[in-house]
Amino acid sequence: MPQLVPFYFVNEITFTFAIIAINVYILSKYILPRFVRLFLSRTFISKLLDNSINK
Amino acid sequence: MAARSAALKVDWAKITTSLGLRGQTAASLQAFKKRNDDVRRKLQQLKELPTTVDFAHYRRVLKNQAIVDEIERRFNAFQPATYDLNRQLKAIEAFEVEAIKNAEATKEKVDLELKDLEKTLKNIEEARPFEDLTVDEVAAAEPSIDEKTTKLVTKGRWSVPGYKERFGDLSVL
Repeated sequence: MPQLVPFYFVNEITFTFAIIAINVYILSKYILPRFVRLFLSRTFISKLLDNSINK
Repeated sequence: MAARSAALKVDWAKITTSLGLRGQTAASLQAFKKRNDDVRRKLQQLKELPTTVDFAHYRRVLKNQAIVDEIERRFNAFQPATYDLNRQLKAIEAFEVEAIKNAEATKEKVDLELKDLEKTLKNIEEARPFEDLTVDEVAAAEPSIDEKTTKLVTKGRWSVPGYKERFGDLSVL
């Protein structure tokens, strides 16, 4: 298994952290805010419906 | 004369119904109509009264001819007082100009309001059900959604308060 060859360890560790950092950035900048926005609009619509039912 | 003919042309019943007046405006219009009618009736009555005096009859009846002569002389010399109505007419014209200006301003305001209301009505009629809306459209209609999103995101909070209680989640833990 080439992963266990010590020659490649530095390369693997570098890319692991780089990929983690890129993932965190993309998630926090683009993906998770979209979910928050979706959840907020869902709660807004449900509040609207509640209000229209209560009236 | 022109004013009188104009007043005769006014269809009072139609004004109230066609303009949809009610409340104080209708009441004051009624009061104005009543005043107009009263004055016209009074004028008619006064016109019907005789304006000639039969002095020969009084000469025959009364012994004191001098007083009849005196009264006749005064009667012939009598001139009805004339009033200068120009000032009042001018004031009325100024008032009319002002009233027309006000009415036009009000009309413009009402037209704008009507346009706005028509837009709202169209909006209501063309409204789609919530199922057909996208998040972008909901956020465009309610800007506070985007504001809240940026607030939560900058604080590093990824969960919306009240969402889990309402919709639940898929978390197994």
